[in-house]
Amino acid sequence: MTTIDVEARGIGKRFPGVVANHDVSLHIRPERVHALIGENGAGKSTLMKILYGVQGADDGEIVVDGRPVTFSSPTDAIAAGIGMVFQHFMLADNLTIAENIVLGAEKRHGIGEAAKREIRTISERFGFGLDPDALVEKLGVADRQRVEILKVLYRGARLIILDEPTAVLVPQEVDALFANLRELVGQGCSVLFISHKLDEVLSIADDITVMRRGTTVGTADPARATKAELAELMVGSELPSPATAESTVTERPVLRLETVTVADETGREVLHDISLTVHAGEVVGIAGVEGNGQSELVEVVMGMMRARSGSIHLGDDDITRLNTRAVRDLGVGFVPEDRHRHGLVLDYPLWENRVLGHQTSAPAVRRGLVSRKGARADAQRIIEQFDVRTPGVDTSARALSGGNQQKFIVGREMSGEPRLLVASHPTRGVDVGAQAAIWDHIREARREGLGVLLVSADLDELIGLSDRLEVILRGRLTARFDPSTVTASDLGEAMTGGGVVAS
Amino acid sequence: MRRLSTYGVALATCGLILTACGTAADDNDSDNDAAAAECETVQLEGDPQVGLAYDVGGRGDQSFNDSAYAGLTQAVSEFGIAEVTEGEAGQDESEDIREERLRTFADSGHNVIVGVGFAYSEAVDTVAPDYPNVAFAVIDGFDPTEDDVNCNVAYLGFAENEGSFLVGAAAALQSQTGTIGFVGGVNNTLIQKFEAGYAAGAEAVNPDINILTTYIEESDPAGFGDPAGGQAAAEGQYADGADIVFHAAGFSGTGVFDAAVAADKLAIGVDSDQFLTAGPEQAQHIITSMLKRVDTATYEFIASAVNGEPDQGFTTFTLADDGVGYSTSGNFLTPETIAALEDYKAQIIAGDIEVPTQP
Amino acid sequence: MSEREKAPAGGSATPAARRIAGSVVSGLLPPLVAVVAAMLATSVLIAAFGGSPGDFLQVIFSVPNDRVLLTIINQSAMLSISGIAAAIGFRMGLFNIGVEGQYIVGSCAGAFFAGSGLVAGPLNILATLVVAALAGAAYASIAGLLKVFRGVSEVISAIMLNYIALTMAGYLVTKYGQASGYTFTTERLPLDAQPLGFKIFADAPGDVWALSSLALILGIGYWFLIARTRFGFELRVTGASSTAALASGVNVKRMTLITMALSGAVAGLVWMPAYFGSVHTFGVPENFQAGLGFLGLAVALLGRNRTLGIFFAAALFAFLSGQSNNLQSAGIAKDVIDITQGTTVLAVVVAYEVVGRRRARSEAERVSRQLEAERAEVVAS
Repeated sequence: MTTIDVEARGIGKRFPGVVANHDVSLHIRPERVHALIGENGAGKSTLMKILYGVQGADDGEIVVDGRPVTFSSPTDAIAAGIGMVFQHFMLADNLTIAENIVLGAEKRHGIGEAAKREIRTISERFGFGLDPDALVEKLGVADRQRVEILKVLYRGARLIILDEPTAVLVPQEVDALFANLRELVGQGCSVLFISHKLDEVLSIADDITVMRRGTTVGTADPARATKAELAELMVGSELPSPATAESTVTERPVLRLETVTVADETGREVLHDISLTVHAGEVVGIAGVEGNGQSELVEVVMGMMRARSGSIHLGDDDITRLNTRAVRDLGVGFVPEDRHRHGLVLDYPLWENRVLGHQTSAPAVRRGLVSRKGARADAQRIIEQFDVRTPGVDTSARALSGGNQQKFIVGREMSGEPRLLVASHPTRGVDVGAQAAIWDHIREARREGLGVLLVSADLDELIGLSDRLEVILRGRLTARFDPSTVTASDLGEAMTGGGVVAS
Repeated sequence: MRRLSTYGVALATCGLILTACGTAADDNDSDNDAAAAECETVQLEGDPQVGLAYDVGGRGDQSFNDSAYAGLTQAVSEFGIAEVTEGEAGQDESEDIREERLRTFADSGHNVIVGVGFAYSEAVDTVAPDYPNVAFAVIDGFDPTEDDVNCNVAYLGFAENEGSFLVGAAAALQSQTGTIGFVGGVNNTLIQKFEAGYAAGAEAVNPDINILTTYIEESDPAGFGDPAGGQAAAEGQYADGADIVFHAAGFSGTGVFDAAVAADKLAIGVDSDQFLTAGPEQAQHIITSMLKRVDTATYEFIASAVNGEPDQGFTTFTLADDGVGYSTSGNFLTPETIAALEDYKAQIIAGDIEVPTQP
Repeated sequence: MSEREKAPAGGSATPAARRIAGSVVSGLLPPLVAVVAAMLATSVLIAAFGGSPGDFLQVIFSVPNDRVLLTIINQSAMLSISGIAAAIGFRMGLFNIGVEGQYIVGSCAGAFFAGSGLVAGPLNILATLVVAALAGAAYASIAGLLKVFRGVSEVISAIMLNYIALTMAGYLVTKYGQASGYTFTTERLPLDAQPLGFKIFADAPGDVWALSSLALILGIGYWFLIARTRFGFELRVTGASSTAALASGVNVKRMTLITMALSGAVAGLVWMPAYFGSVHTFGVPENFQAGLGFLGLAVALLGRNRTLGIFFAAALFAFLSGQSNNLQSAGIAKDVIDITQGTTVLAVVVAYEVVGRRRARSEAERVSRQLEAERAEVVAS
């Protein structure tokens, strides 16, 4: 097998209102496992999509084996020898392994015995141990992942991009995967391994590139680097100084979770024994690597998920069993994680989006009827107060930039003087100006006694806004820090499960 | 609360409209008084002009509608009728549209109007009183308002039970297995007439005969246009030992014939001589057909109108006047069978055998 | 539904007026283009099979006589109700293809109830409407419950339920109805519950059925519900983005059940104008007009789920059907009108898609242009 050498030089990618990648450079050398690490939102997925031809880059170039290439689709990328395995598998359960692999690549070796022979050959060469005739629905997660890798190899890829491949695996499976990856690079392939689990990265990678805030901030040699150093690179060395304003924290609890445990549909516990109090005038920041239970924490407070045990109180009201509507009606504002899916109806004008989530309260709705006048006037107020750049209240939400959409949502959720604001990544994908404006508004509301539960992956935001930081790891609150004294490496290690374990 | 009261307003408005308009009971209905009157002959104005409204399927259905067309053609050439217009019912059309079709004929000077198929019964009943000088006929028709007689409407019915008796007898005479089948399109009283006659005829020949009966649909008229349904029904009967299947299922019958071809068994056609209209392969399995002379009925009604005395009221075409019968094309029926059938026919005409209309 | 404020009267070419003019054009142009395209397609087809497209167009565009006009009005009323039933589902992203089945069940239940004369006099009419609506709602709820609690697609279950509905209605009428000709029907509506219609043409037989006015009432009610009430807002939001609805506190499952039932209730009323206005009994096939439920889906699609659009689409469909009767005399099978109707819907779906995308793009451009301009001003000052 011929080797492959892929280099990205000065890649830049802009979306309306956001710079997703700028000046990204990365060199994946032949026969190496190259790890790309960084916080969520650091720009890793945008870079992957550009490398795999899903999106085009605005600046820079991709060089394969010394020749600049442009990909207009994944087909081009595969033709150049670059394949990708997504975090969510794309397999048809009711087909066999061979059928899944051949699907869409019928031209390579047909769909008959020749194809199966080829699949067997690849499987044996890399020690995958897959039977082409087995039904995919009978396979476990690790085997499915191998099928995905085989699928990419079958199509002739020599560089395999793996997007957080270990997220779905148990430790023994991780070891097996790493053995497969070693086998791959031993026989001429290259691997781009995307992760934020530092110990895994240190154990498998030959080279490491770190991304932060849309750009590559450095490389590290796994033989010499420590986890603490990597964590510092990931989260940035200079942490912002916390807000100098005097504390407004009161003794009055707004939100009180007591030993809350939550399980998902499959019965797996996603939150264990969470106890947490947010006081009036206090911002409690939840820090953690994404996927450690933050979404579930927000959803259980908002009544979108049910606690298996424990209790949740809003002031004196028990909201453990209440639905989202009732929780909102008791005075909770909610800035959801995904503004396009949960925060807005993109095709509706702003004034109708003003009604969203506030269907039971004036001025948007009165006595069961939507008050066009009230909603329009209040949408106008939000536009002015929160400096939402839009021609007017009739403009559809879709036409606005991300920052302006988010300002509108924050403005809406702080309407009607809520007691508690649940804010999930309130400034993700938002430009710097809008970010500062949103932070100011949250600080101001806090002064007036608002309690805020803030979930974020942005350490600037967490440290800059919070009165207290809680670290969430695998569904548990594992550490607590004072934002004015915390260091980046402490926080990084706590978030990634290394070093310090505070109680 | 506000929403509820809005509905209240809507309902109240609705009530207002209704009460403001009153009901039919408030109207002094004088039509009923005419019921007692004796009917006089309909006086046509001008030369006879014929309007023929087909049932769904229209011309080219190789069955019912085509048969009516044959009668029309015969009358037109024989009497030199100058003005003839045809119309055709659509799938799922409303009663109004059917009425409108008839009125369009009448308004444009047609004074002899035939509705092909019982679906026109209601429409003719509504339209006829408005055109006293037009002679209407409904094939297979019935009067939905029997105490309110329409003097200018002829209801042309058939003794399907008598014709079916003969093909039932033929089936029993020629069956090898002692099991025969009946496939009906829709389970209504009209098709039940076929079934009743068929069973009676078969049992007259062989009291121990086993008769399998299947209806494609209980009430959905789709049963007359569902060859796949016909085929499934017939396949089942052949599989259960039937060697001859009689269908009264309109266009669905082609499915019955297909099943006969596939199973290499025999079938009996309906309405027209289907040996002549079916495909060559199918024809080899059609031993006879129960003839329902829609052409005769159509022709005779037009003839009566041309002669200045249009038929009125109920007319049933029977074995006696060759309104129903059986076909012998293809020479599948043995001379002995034909002799036996002719004997039964004579007995029915003579009234010695009374054929039931209900199974 | 984002019906914008109306333009200030007599406003000259201000940007706002231009925008409104633009949205009127983008709202009316697609159906117009679609109708023209459908006429063209039908004409081409007729020519291809040796017919005369000229005759076809002449018959279709001739002025209908009073009687046909009455038929068109009454049919549009029923089609509108059917369209509203479908639109209620569409607005929340439910494809209630079961309008047909709910229509059959509602009609059958209503006719049995009304014919029984349990309630005397004109009140029978109101009571029957309630019964028909409840029957339609109950029948639709089967599909709703299956979707919410068993994850069965409402499309699949409703198609099956449509078949069951017709067979069941036929069975019930045969078992509990009375013989009429060769088939069975429900007992006739008592005279005191037969409302008089609106006699708009003195010379023509027939009238505009009293309950055709139901279409107007339901149309206004539908508009009010969707555009003005909180319930309507939540229904629309659920249709536009079920995730946003969930986050805003809407119970999506409950909303699905209610919407299905509401759609079914309206579907149950579709045939009531004809029943009370002229047929007075229910029996398959000749005393019932099957297929109106399916047409309602097309009407709602063509009318973009807006009240006025639905009225327009229903009128167009009724007009085409009414005129098609005369095609026979031009030697053209009346079934071609089905092709015209089908092509219209297909073309309008495509046309709206094109217009919608263009509008979204131009709005985004307008916003960014305006912001650019503002930025330039700030820099300049």
